[in-house]
Amino acid sequence: MSHELSLSIVGAGGDGAVAAGDILSMACAREGLHVIKTEAYGPQIRGGESSCMVRISSAPIHAQADTLDALVVFSWSDFARFRAELALGDDALVFHDEKDAPPDDMKSLRLFALPFAAQRGAKNIFALGLLSAAFGLPADAVREAVRGRFRKKTAEVIEGNVKAFDAGFMEGANVDAKKIEYIKSEAKLLMAGNEASALGAIEAGCTFFAGYPITPSSEILHFLSEWLPRIGGKCLQTEDELAAIGAVVGASFAGAKSMTATSGPGLSLMAEMIGLSSMAEVPSVIVNVQRGGPSTGIPTKSEQSDLMHAVFASHGDTPRVVLACTDVEDSFHTTVEGFNIAEEFQLPVIVLSEQSIAQRRETIEAKALVHDVVDRRLATEAGEYRRYRVTGDGVSPMSIPGQRGGEYQTNGLEHDEQGRPSSMYETHKTMNEKRYRKLDAIARKYRLFTRLGPDDADLGILCWGSSLGVVRDAVDRLNAPRGLRVAAFAPRILMPLPKRAIEEFVATSRELLIVELSHAEQFYKYLRTEIDLPRERTHVFARSGGKNLTVSEVIDEVQRIFVRDEVLA
Amino acid sequence: MTCDFNYTANEYKSDLKPVWCPGCGDFAVLNSLYRTFAELRYEPHETVVVSGIGCSSRLPGYVEAYGFNSLHGRALPIATGIKLANPKLNVVVVGGDGDGIAIGGNHFLHTARRNADLTYIIMDNEIYGLTKGQAAPTTPLGDKTKSTTYGNPEAGVDPCALAISFGATWVARAFSGDVVGTAKLMKAALQHRGFAFLNILSPCVTWRGEDQHKEIRAKIQRGEIVIGVLHEVEKPTLVDEMDEIRGKATASRPPATKSDMLRAFA
Repeated sequence: MSHELSLSIVGAGGDGAVAAGDILSMACAREGLHVIKTEAYGPQIRGGESSCMVRISSAPIHAQADTLDALVVFSWSDFARFRAELALGDDALVFHDEKDAPPDDMKSLRLFALPFAAQRGAKNIFALGLLSAAFGLPADAVREAVRGRFRKKTAEVIEGNVKAFDAGFMEGANVDAKKIEYIKSEAKLLMAGNEASALGAIEAGCTFFAGYPITPSSEILHFLSEWLPRIGGKCLQTEDELAAIGAVVGASFAGAKSMTATSGPGLSLMAEMIGLSSMAEVPSVIVNVQRGGPSTGIPTKSEQSDLMHAVFASHGDTPRVVLACTDVEDSFHTTVEGFNIAEEFQLPVIVLSEQSIAQRRETIEAKALVHDVVDRRLATEAGEYRRYRVTGDGVSPMSIPGQRGGEYQTNGLEHDEQGRPSSMYETHKTMNEKRYRKLDAIARKYRLFTRLGPDDADLGILCWGSSLGVVRDAVDRLNAPRGLRVAAFAPRILMPLPKRAIEEFVATSRELLIVELSHAEQFYKYLRTEIDLPRERTHVFARSGGKNLTVSEVIDEVQRIFVRDEVLA
Repeated sequence: MTCDFNYTANEYKSDLKPVWCPGCGDFAVLNSLYRTFAELRYEPHETVVVSGIGCSSRLPGYVEAYGFNSLHGRALPIATGIKLANPKLNVVVVGGDGDGIAIGGNHFLHTARRNADLTYIIMDNEIYGLTKGQAAPTTPLGDKTKSTTYGNPEAGVDPCALAISFGATWVARAFSGDVVGTAKLMKAALQHRGFAFLNILSPCVTWRGEDQHKEIRAKIQRGEIVIGVLHEVEKPTLVDEMDEIRGKATASRPPATKSDMLRAFA
């Protein structure tokens, strides 16, 4: 018996490897199991090789497993493309087509030759039957999900697939493998990070979205294109990212809670509007799903290398807020927080997501998708209205076109309290101070971070974004048998940083390890601009994205630090 | 939206004094705008004047209404967002030829193609004025400017021809020297349903010389420049299309709820 299973299905376009992963994941989610599902493709737009990875567990999981327990390969030539990305466990079971001889380096594994090709169009469904029987997966739920998948097809097609499932199940019954042990519980939802971000926007009250298609964020545009019109909102596909964020700033100026979503190259184009949104004090929300950079980089793979751009983009002294999602469910909450902060404090908020969160499907509970909503401070004052009145926390009540007596001109030029352009030093100084006071107020109100592990630790790991899921699993493993006391800290607000909480974490950790997916160590360098990190006890594990972080990488790094320590002692 | 009582042109004047050079054609455009707003009884609080960057883009500050003096070239996307957020607003976009045809050219194409419910007024002076005299996309071939010491190597483009080919549903050319004629065309532009484009020849005395005004007038008299409405068609506007989408999406169902959305993931 086992409490979890990680498997991968690899095939050519048309083999239905990814569809099989979807069906299996959905069935397990309905059974109340915890699932994380990712996909990988060759560079072709259509066809070509494709693969999925599914991790199924009876307990909560936070990242993909480091190694696979099972692999289904419809053709070894397609598998070659993914060989470097799929690590097989020593006890892994490999199911391949009986007419396709396995490569030599696979021969040490437990190989099962099966009649996949003989199933014609239903080899993927056959594989699902096989896996269900072999690993004790919920066969009835999977069979139902197969029926559901083909519900719009003829009865003949549906029955043909169910037959293939049952045939696979017969074969799987002969496989001796550890069965997954679980108790059926309340059905969960299966959702990708991009969808959770889009739902978060709707939760927050977003009624206007403008965007330009870009991998890996387009699913946000797709979701809102379908659902915004159904709640009375509007979705506009623009000619470029300059126009997308422009339309968002315009709609927000006119009173609509507004958002755009993009990835690195789009965020580069949006830099000028981040400045305008900040200067004109018009709320805007930008979800930026990071991919490999710089330039076009690797559009389909994850990296944490837009941090510096998000924190510093745009010329001049430009207050903005940067938040980071740590997993799928958090994408929902962080997007709502993004709106809350943007609306309350009238500035641009960049919500950083990552391809590895945005495009992975993960189980979440419907009841977790609830978040308090904050609205804009609107002008109500009698007498002469001053749009940019200097206030204690820097927030000036905003009038909305249509509101009588609230007329003003907003401006990318420096301006006085009325919005009139000014090139005077005193005005510039006063207004810079006013705009930056908002960040102080935000830092006081929004201390968004996750801290795990013991209060005073042998080692404190500082990470952000998707790395938290991997670090969380690593912390669990390190704390258990090895006797090391390991803690972790991930800020979910990166601008302004929760400084005091980080300083306290630094003070209570004997050694520090920074973990991030950025070759240039952006997170480490950024932290150093704000926090005094003690050089002699700070270690950095930073590498390029393009391959997701693994738990064993983190554990290996921790072990290296302590070996090094002992040697020095 | 319009109001029930009369505003006079003067009441649309803000307390800000224009920074334009004496003799600039933009003064006449501004005066035409005051008159037209008064004539159409536009409520200041329901009117938004949007601009980019340039001499003429300073205009929103001189009008008693909501105004957005934005970024170079980006007035049209901002205005589109404003109109979509609140279709009841009167949204007028103003700017120069460099702002609209060079740096903002792509937005001009797509805003026209969408038939966004906006009036777009270009004050065309064939030069970059605010940055002090460089060639614009409208500057004629061979003209010497600060950035074309030996003469402009590029032919100038006619913004009206562009607008028609982009799919604008109303296109006209005016001359700021004729305040009455300009106000008349401006009124027609504001009354058009959909994307109305009005190119106003607006001389720059500082960088195109004292004679530009006279030359334009002479060309109009000789029939070399045509003033008036050049193109007018009726088409559903962007707001119409958005309403249509909303109709299709809701299909007379009540608005979607969160549980409707979550069902897609169950």
